[in-house]
Amino acid sequence: MKRQFKQTIWVFVTLISHYRRHPGQALTMALGLISGVALWAAVQLINDHARSSYAEADQLLGAEARYWIRSDNSLGVAVADYVDLRRAGFEQLYPVIETQVRDAQGRSVAIIATDLLALPVGSGIGSNARYSNPFGASSWLALIQADYQAWYPQSLATQLGIEPGQRLILASGEHLPPALIQTQTQQGQRVFMDIAAAMAILGTDTFSYLGVGRLSESEQLRLAALLPATLTLVTNHQALDLAQVTESLHTHLTALGLLSFAVGLFIVFNAVRFSLLARQGTLTTLREMGVSLGMLSIAIIAESLLWTLFGTSLGLVSGYALSQLLLPAMAMSLQSLYAAELGTLIGIRPEQVLQAFGLSLAGVVLALTLPLWLRARESIRRQRDTTAQWQQDQRGIGWMALVAMGLLGLAAALYPWMASIEQGFLILALVMFGGALLLPWLVLSLIETCARLLPKQQWLLRWAVSDALAQLPHLRIALMALLLTLTANIGVTTLVDSFRTALGDWLETRLAADIYVQSESLDIEAVKQVAWLSGYSPRIGVDLRWQNRPTSIRGLDLNAPDTVGMVLAQDQGVQNQQAQDQARQAWRAGDSSVIPILANEQVRYLAHTPLGSMIELPTPTGLRRFKIIGYVHDYGNSSLAFYLPGETVMALWPAAELLGAGLWLSDPAAQIDPDWLSSRLSALGVKPGQWVRQGEIKRLSFAIFDRTFAITATLNTLTLLVAGLSLLTALLAVHQQRLPEYAHWRSMGVNFSQWLQIVALPLLLMLAVTLLLSLPLGFSLSWLLINKLNVIAFGWTMPLLWSWWPLAKLGILTLGIVLTTLTVSVVRVRQTLPTAIQQLAGDSG
Amino acid sequence: MGDLRAHSYLKIILLFGLALPLQLLASEAYQLLRGDPAGYAAVVPGKALKFPEDHLPHPDYRIEWWYLTANLIDASGAHYDVHWTLFRQSMSPLADPGGWSSNQVWMAHAALSTPEGHVYKQQFARGGIGQAGVEWTTTNKVTANPESTTATNSPDQFQAWLDNGMLKGQGSSPLPGQLSFTVEDFEVSLNLNVATPWVLQGDAGYSRKSNMGQASYYYSQPHITITGEVTRNQQTTNLTGQGWLDREWSSQPLAPNQPGWDWLSVHLDDGHALMVYRLRQDNGEDWISGSWITPEGQTTSLNKSDIVFQPIRHTTLKTGTNTHHKLPLHWRVALPGLGLSWTVAPRSEDHWLNTAFPYWEGPVTLEGTMAGQGFLELTGYPESQ
Repeated sequence: MKRQFKQTIWVFVTLISHYRRHPGQALTMALGLISGVALWAAVQLINDHARSSYAEADQLLGAEARYWIRSDNSLGVAVADYVDLRRAGFEQLYPVIETQVRDAQGRSVAIIATDLLALPVGSGIGSNARYSNPFGASSWLALIQADYQAWYPQSLATQLGIEPGQRLILASGEHLPPALIQTQTQQGQRVFMDIAAAMAILGTDTFSYLGVGRLSESEQLRLAALLPATLTLVTNHQALDLAQVTESLHTHLTALGLLSFAVGLFIVFNAVRFSLLARQGTLTTLREMGVSLGMLSIAIIAESLLWTLFGTSLGLVSGYALSQLLLPAMAMSLQSLYAAELGTLIGIRPEQVLQAFGLSLAGVVLALTLPLWLRARESIRRQRDTTAQWQQDQRGIGWMALVAMGLLGLAAALYPWMASIEQGFLILALVMFGGALLLPWLVLSLIETCARLLPKQQWLLRWAVSDALAQLPHLRIALMALLLTLTANIGVTTLVDSFRTALGDWLETRLAADIYVQSESLDIEAVKQVAWLSGYSPRIGVDLRWQNRPTSIRGLDLNAPDTVGMVLAQDQGVQNQQAQDQARQAWRAGDSSVIPILANEQVRYLAHTPLGSMIELPTPTGLRRFKIIGYVHDYGNSSLAFYLPGETVMALWPAAELLGAGLWLSDPAAQIDPDWLSSRLSALGVKPGQWVRQGEIKRLSFAIFDRTFAITATLNTLTLLVAGLSLLTALLAVHQQRLPEYAHWRSMGVNFSQWLQIVALPLLLMLAVTLLLSLPLGFSLSWLLINKLNVIAFGWTMPLLWSWWPLAKLGILTLGIVLTTLTVSVVRVRQTLPTAIQQLAGDSG
Repeated sequence: MGDLRAHSYLKIILLFGLALPLQLLASEAYQLLRGDPAGYAAVVPGKALKFPEDHLPHPDYRIEWWYLTANLIDASGAHYDVHWTLFRQSMSPLADPGGWSSNQVWMAHAALSTPEGHVYKQQFARGGIGQAGVEWTTTNKVTANPESTTATNSPDQFQAWLDNGMLKGQGSSPLPGQLSFTVEDFEVSLNLNVATPWVLQGDAGYSRKSNMGQASYYYSQPHITITGEVTRNQQTTNLTGQGWLDREWSSQPLAPNQPGWDWLSVHLDDGHALMVYRLRQDNGEDWISGSWITPEGQTTSLNKSDIVFQPIRHTTLKTGTNTHHKLPLHWRVALPGLGLSWTVAPRSEDHWLNTAFPYWEGPVTLEGTMAGQGFLELTGYPESQ
């Protein structure tokens, strides 16, 4: 038993010693595993972090927020009402000011403020529980006393370029308190300050709302009875809502993470392939020496576990670092899109470590253990037979093509049933991997065709083509990885470009007014009188819940220029101009029994309500029936929205309030002078900071858009680099292995430029096939993403915009990577060839 | 303490948010208590206290409190004990700008012992917005006649409150008055009646805390007769008993060498009241002081030579998941000059308050020359290993 153990150790050491002789291979394997695990882990950590942050959405700044108390009008909650409720014994109430302001540079800054003294943190103490100090472990005297403090998370401070002690200047001219790099629980990417400071800066004497902790049934009744008529107790559904609306986004990210992991695995495959060739001899010798298959298996398992541990630990560490880099952008996006607040600190939980270990183990088993074990099991005779190997390789490519066809066929068969985002990604994966598996066969067929067609005189070309046959087995996995990343890049680039264009067009029609005002104090009667305005479009609205989702009802002014020319989304029922006109006419005219209503596309795709559906919405007098007669694009909105003529909204929901208005200037050039505008607007009751120019909204929208896709772009670029690395290592390995061969050629009189042609031409040929194949695959991918996955995930439709320029850029980038790789490997060959020639001379001598 | 409700200083000073481990907090907080009172009004001897004005806050002094303890029983004789305190702190020596800019901070502690156990809570509020304060309010009283709804202004009425915890006087003085508060699911409502005058502690209200000049203004009402009720789950229990109210304000209450204090207030069965405290000093020479009060409210100030105030034994209490404190819960008290002597024992050991700055405060019984009951307060004891 002891001897057997010692023998197994010896076998293991023999196996492992391979990496000592070939450190390059060890490095490649490590790189593949680590980068794969790291990219996957980064995405996973961000996803988990985001989800746990949503789960905290029933908390606010560390206090429970089971309910909100909101004002029915937009005046906010009066201090006196709040104090009365506290004095009535509702200690679980706390005041909150939450708002978006713009700074002097036009950037949007979110502000959250509360009264830390009143915040019910750690209430309900038992006799054993240590009372948690609501004021945390930081000096907060300065926070609650003039000049006050503004707390910024590090990432937000960096983004805004704020140093500790600095005061951010707002568009209104007010200064925020001196900055402190510090965060309160659940602050997110917002500036936190004392509520007294916020009230002074915002010039308000009311709160945005009150947060309410846990209430017993009797307390709830008592509170409802005590509430002034203008205030309403609302249940906080945010945690559920956030989890719901962001689910698709996270699936999307997970898919990207898994893709990165798959590309990492390709590198491992690649490395193992070369290590197998080099270790073939060792395996055979060991078997010939009588080492049993069982013992060999144990050694192989031990090696795999070692690799897994190594890959997991370093991968997690790098992944954690990467996630910290990506988090701020991600947090800002989630805040803009879903008003979701992400904490600034990511933690790693034991489950995540286990997950990473499991994934990495599965990868190693697939890429290393299985091939190694299969090779070890082969009969000794076959292991010494290279022809058999070559035949096996050809057969392998044939098999791969068959599997590829199977995968593609399966994708086609599943396509009609695709309904969920997970199914969408499954089909997407089938298409991509089907394409990748098809690649070697396509290259092989092309080589064979070329070989047949080339005239006999073109000896150099014929040689190059046949050399492709020698290179293909070594490069095909790297090529497949490259194909995958190219496809993903094309697909996502097209998606982002199409989306950006659609967003631009949409903003162009949606934001027709020159100035947008968001102010409850806007004097709409005065607006009608002034000469410097040529048009106005007030918006009124109420928020309610429909199909258990947050839903907004918006009332539009029928005479407003943007309502007259409102563009409806293309749909089966509303395709041409005439149909659009008819739908608009019907909507304007209204109907006393079933009211025609317009909805945003989210209603159609997320709430699965097709055109022509009858729906019921809650009004204060009971449910009312409506018929959906058209949809409008509403990019970036995560809630459902319905649109009705303003008068209809006022009649059905008398509590509807003025939310804001679009204003058209008689002389649009006048807006260049901010003082001119500001003074006129303030005469209409609009304070500085409550209005914004159309151009600024557009700029802000694009900024949010670009930030949202920044993470996608980063992952794409990283994956492409990883694939380039994979190609480089493959080339280095293949040339290293073929050095003796090159030495032979050299001694036969092949000069360097001829050698370069023989070696480089096949590579360029294979690359061309890869690039060409990536086009249809990339197109399919973008088609799936835009027309299927995006609609399922966000409920937004947009036309697919195929543009060649980004593809050309990608092609040039790829070519650049390949040429660099080629140059590096050629330089290596030139450096090492003389030694190889000497060795050759020595061998023959 | 009465005198030295100094744990309250510590808790209020916690408002300054010390980023220190809890073990260090105590000593660090004490350090701040000894801090320079520059800018704040100074406590000087010879100042005559004026009522009812001095029932109101003194915002030019750094710290102040309204502190009520009560030993009560229900119809069956079961004990209920109450402790309600409102603390005020000035965050800066400048004049209070009021409103949201107010530099006044308030803190309330409310605790109730029932036969089932001890519950308590701690709350904070900023001044200036009406959530907490001490003031005279002019209440409108609508006359009983529904025909004429003319409102008449009642005299100024004393109110001290934080959220729904409130001590409300019938007139401009806190007593006679009413105390109401909630803690967990208990609602406490007590009527407080008095028949004796305010007792000025120390030298006509000037209460010395060390021989280095630290002092406070301090007066008490030791003879409060109480009727009231506690309600829980719609079950009301009627209560009767005796209470004690302390009023104290200062700007620099502690000397540099005083790490903590023990304080006792007692109602004796013959109608006398006794208050003793000792400030433990680093050099072992404790600062001991007190007062002996007749049933009619006549007071005799006691100094160190008049008082024996010694722990009999220490008890180790589990005061948190992983924390223990070794506390002198049993005492010997004697006034040799008057030929009086008692032993003091806690009604229940479970009166640790795990508040931001933890302390022990609970009801005690006395046996000896004559029986009695009261409240014991122990602060500034370090965690035991």
